[in-house]
Amino acid sequence: MFEATALNRRNDRTQALFRMLFLLMTLVLIVPVLIILTTLIVKGGPVLSVDFLFTSPTDGMTAGGIFPALFGTIWLVAVALLVSVPLGVAAAIYLSEYAPDNWMTRVINLAIINLAGVPSIVHALFGVGAFVIFFGFGTSILSASLTLAIMTLPVVIVASRESLQAVPHAFREACWNMGATRWQTIRKVVLPNAVSGILTGVILEVSRTTGETAPIMFTGAAFFLPFLPQSVFDQTMALSLHLFVVSTQVPGVPEALPYGVALVLIAMVLLMNSVSIAFRMYLRGKKKW
Amino acid sequence: MQFKRLAVTAISTAMLVSASGIQARNLIQNKGSDTLVNVAQAWAEAYQSVNPDVAVAVSGGGSGTGIAAMINGTVDIANASRKMKDKEVKMADEQGHHPVEHTVGFDALAVYLHQDNPATQLTIEQLKQIYIRDGKATKWSDLGLKVPGCSSDEIVVVSRQNNSGTYAYFKKAVLGKSGKYRSGTLDMHGSKDVVDLVEKTPCAIGYSGLAYATDHVKLACVATDDKSSCVNPSVASASDGSYPIARPLFMYTNGEPKGDIKGYMDWILSDEGQCIILKKGYAPVRAVQCP
Repeated sequence: MFEATALNRRNDRTQALFRMLFLLMTLVLIVPVLIILTTLIVKGGPVLSVDFLFTSPTDGMTAGGIFPALFGTIWLVAVALLVSVPLGVAAAIYLSEYAPDNWMTRVINLAIINLAGVPSIVHALFGVGAFVIFFGFGTSILSASLTLAIMTLPVVIVASRESLQAVPHAFREACWNMGATRWQTIRKVVLPNAVSGILTGVILEVSRTTGETAPIMFTGAAFFLPFLPQSVFDQTMALSLHLFVVSTQVPGVPEALPYGVALVLIAMVLLMNSVSIAFRMYLRGKKKW
Repeated sequence: MQFKRLAVTAISTAMLVSASGIQARNLIQNKGSDTLVNVAQAWAEAYQSVNPDVAVAVSGGGSGTGIAAMINGTVDIANASRKMKDKEVKMADEQGHHPVEHTVGFDALAVYLHQDNPATQLTIEQLKQIYIRDGKATKWSDLGLKVPGCSSDEIVVVSRQNNSGTYAYFKKAVLGKSGKYRSGTLDMHGSKDVVDLVEKTPCAIGYSGLAYATDHVKLACVATDDKSSCVNPSVASASDGSYPIARPLFMYTNGEPKGDIKGYMDWILSDEGQCIILKKGYAPVRAVQCP
């Protein structure tokens, strides 16, 4: 009575075909990742050592390590985070918890979307005009980090706003009914429940900030510095620019060196991401809904 | 709040790390020419042991970038592989900066060819016909050459971005004062990029400082005209002026150098500094004895 008809069999075949097709396409996605990682590890792995990470470049950047660049990148990312996270989260709280649905809010949202779409080189030139020249910070970590912060702000705002809005409205209502003020509700109920989502935004920002080259090239990163930056008003070397320099500007660089720099850059991003992901999982585990 | 404690620890650690490294030092900002950037870097690196109290920060970007920074007054020393134009000096004067020129070395501008290219010598006129707008040489056969591996026979003309000092000098030396580059050249953003591209492209011709030569490219022997014999680019032929497209390399300071900047400039022109530029493949300003 329920024997498969020709139509059923054809449907089954089509079903299987599409399933395979989409699976293949998904697999194609991970191929570039695998190729990049293997190439970097095979070609760059041999130069990695403790010395490589903790000494300065020597012999006209064709030998020695990358410490000043590594150190500089950490500075740049840290200062950019210090600026963009408080600013971004505050903006997200306003937009999610306070803002009325009127034309001004819509304009703000539109501005955020547009800010996210501005190419990084345009941010770089804005940074030169605003921070380096107008505010007179010069080419410094401060100028570069502020440029990075502005560039990554939309990511933080959007991710934070989404995760604030994911907190069920009933939580807020329950809290208000107990006589809590709006700010008490945000601080004790909404933020603790949204923090894992906010961290996602921060993770994305860290990855992007670490790798950006254009915004820091004109605003704070130097080709070579014989010292480590000591304040935010110093210039710095940075891993991403160093990778550009050793792979395109300096003759006679051993082939493995640029790959080593690239490997460290990627490893740094992955490391920071996994720390944040672990932290996020821990927080999510504590969630009660 | 564990997060708060974590953040506080992180910030205070960062401050401690940076505070422990503080020492008195004077910073010299040095920016400009991509041709000079590697020598400038080598000088800055070596100067650490000569005078540890002075640190030199080096950035590239091209001669135009360095000169613009000199005009704005944001550098102490600008590197340039071309002279500052009168207009630029005037602009700097108006801003209250007075650029003083120092010749720190010479560079032979080598003409790079793919290693399979059979050309042995090229005259300035031939180069001009290759590079100038509406020039007569667009195919290798126009020069009487058959390049193996270049089946299209089209000359792939490799040039530089237009704020490069190398671009400006080659234009003046080969195309003449009013000459314009051919349209459709591949404009590379760095001396090394030109050599890398020519190395991989049988049809290509490019120009870059001699210091960027590798074992995998051919350097053309350049003759002033049909009658004179050609000269190979080398440190020696750049110093004695026999190589037709060699140029001086400049560093500009704001006013006559004083204090630490004077110390640095004097050291660059000393035997020790000049040996470094020689080691990097450029010609020193005078004959030096190097270890």
